[in-house]
Amino acid sequence: MDGNDQTCPKCKTTKYRNPAMILMVNACGHALCESCVELIFAKGSAACPECKCALRRQNFRIQLFEDPAVDKEVDIRKRILKEFNKRQEDFSTLREYNDYLEEVENIIFNLVFDVDSTNTNKMIDNYKKENKDITMKNRNRQSQEEIELEELLEAEKAQQSEKANSYVNAELEEKKQKHKAREKLIDELMFSDADAKSIVASHVQATAALAKEQPKAAAQAGGPVVKSSKFSSGIQIGLRQNTSSFLPIPKQQDLPLFHYSAPVFDYNGPSPPAIEVLGKLKYFANIRAANATERAGGYTEALSCCRALQEAMGGLFYIPQSGHKTAVAASAEETDDMETA
Amino acid sequence: MFATSTQRSFWMFKDENDVSNARLSANIKYISSRGRNMTAEERELHFLNVTEEKILIMSYEYQLRDFCRKFLPPMPRYVIGTALHYLKRFYVNNSVMDYPPKEILVTCVYLACKVEEFNVSMDQFVGNLKGDREKAASIILNNELLLMQQLDYQLTVHNPFRPLEGLMIDMKTRFPTFSDPERLRSGIDEFLEQVFYTDAILIYSPSQISLAAIIHSASTSKENVDEYITKILFSEDQKRLLNLIEAVKKIRVMVRNVQTPHRDVIKALEKKLQLCCNPDNNSESPAFKKRMKQSFDDEESFEDGQYPDANTDQVRSMLMGMSEMGKI
Repeated sequence: MDGNDQTCPKCKTTKYRNPAMILMVNACGHALCESCVELIFAKGSAACPECKCALRRQNFRIQLFEDPAVDKEVDIRKRILKEFNKRQEDFSTLREYNDYLEEVENIIFNLVFDVDSTNTNKMIDNYKKENKDITMKNRNRQSQEEIELEELLEAEKAQQSEKANSYVNAELEEKKQKHKAREKLIDELMFSDADAKSIVASHVQATAALAKEQPKAAAQAGGPVVKSSKFSSGIQIGLRQNTSSFLPIPKQQDLPLFHYSAPVFDYNGPSPPAIEVLGKLKYFANIRAANATERAGGYTEALSCCRALQEAMGGLFYIPQSGHKTAVAASAEETDDMETA
Repeated sequence: MFATSTQRSFWMFKDENDVSNARLSANIKYISSRGRNMTAEERELHFLNVTEEKILIMSYEYQLRDFCRKFLPPMPRYVIGTALHYLKRFYVNNSVMDYPPKEILVTCVYLACKVEEFNVSMDQFVGNLKGDREKAASIILNNELLLMQQLDYQLTVHNPFRPLEGLMIDMKTRFPTFSDPERLRSGIDEFLEQVFYTDAILIYSPSQISLAAIIHSASTSKENVDEYITKILFSEDQKRLLNLIEAVKKIRVMVRNVQTPHRDVIKALEKKLQLCCNPDNNSESPAFKKRMKQSFDDEESFEDGQYPDANTDQVRSMLMGMSEMGKI
């Protein structure tokens, strides 16, 4: 059933002795144990011991199934399905989809049993060429789904581990509590002057009350350090391209309505014409027109025209004043002098 | 825009006197810190005064322009404008004797290229310089932060070139009676070149300067653009018109008074500068080199795990540097 029964065809003995030995299977479907593989490819030349077909180191995969033939087929199937990955949605009728599946099975069968391999390969190449883009699209779709599945799995795992942790923590807590209660009892018996029996009675009552509270607390605490899967605003952490749930709209308090007020620019000069009216005022005749690439990028003559005009008009009313720090400091000193003098 | 820019808020002066005062205070500060034990006459002989400094700066501005003119790849004029702006601003706050103008000059150009998005790599840049390229590269990189600090990190400069284009477009559209304002271009370009050697860029807004350029060029070609200004630009605000006319007049006067300094005068001043300049900042001087070496050695000793205590060379060199400032 397991590795003990299988013999490596090359060294025959080694497999019996070492059940930990791993069989590698090659492209022609025959098995070789790991040490034989190394041996063969250390020598440089490589031919399969059973069927003498040329082999490469890369073509050896670790065997998953007992029967190397099965492994070979699984391998071929994986390879083919990477190319032929259409799904039911890609076909208009069920009949077409089934025909496609049958075709795929035919191809795989031919390749496994080496029937008519040249034709089969030609068919594969043709298919590849015709359906390249659909294949790519499907491939992407698959990877997306894989990612989502993985995330789900991870989230589940995280939840489970948290639950386990919380249980462990709760148990520890209980133990601590019990220990504390016992110590308290002993202390009271030692130091207080009351009657021993009454102390014990009150203690028993206290523990009973605690025991009732424990399950409630455990239910509430449930995961003190939870690795949250959501941000505080409710958005889920991680890639989620097709979230079906929307966030709840927050309750609207009576705030003042937003009122748009356009920003006001102080040009300190005559106001330049707004960008929208530049065309009407025939400014564009005097500026270089945007060529096709520029227009495609979103640039229009209006933009540079408007900017030039704004810069031209801006600052025309400017009156010289001292903004510079030394000048400001000097004028401050002057006023001080004037005040003291 | 200029109206909301730091240029307007922090780097504008009221008039030429204001600018001279600022330069004067920088000059006095330097002299008093370096010439503490000299008499007034000795100081006069040894150090540069404000007018001499001004002449020197102007000669360096000419040098900057020549450097930029020969620059490969060809440098657009707004980069040159920004570089000149930086140079002017730097030497309003600092004395020429304090930092060697040659080094600051190239640093200004390099910084201007970066700020105005005229992409030049360091290798390309120093390829345009004569002499030791690596040394030049290290000079520029060492001074870059200093320059930015002295500019208060306010690096956006508004040059008169775009307002000029705007005014041209406006004239062509709204003032069609004046045929082909493009004729005025060469006069305008000359005027704008000259205006950068004056302090007008620190006093007036760039659109006023470009308007002055247009008016000047028009009057030299015996044309008249007054109608454009009165009827179209300032049709609503007559009082501001007077203000503008005043400004334009002053700008033109300033440009008219630009004098290219004489070579001999420059040479003499440079010689004087060599004597009185601050050796700590002059990369040629032995004191600077020694200081650099000290700090380099100290860095190495840090790597060995030895940390300096109070009496190590670093502190000593700092003290030496400080005492040099009081030395004669």
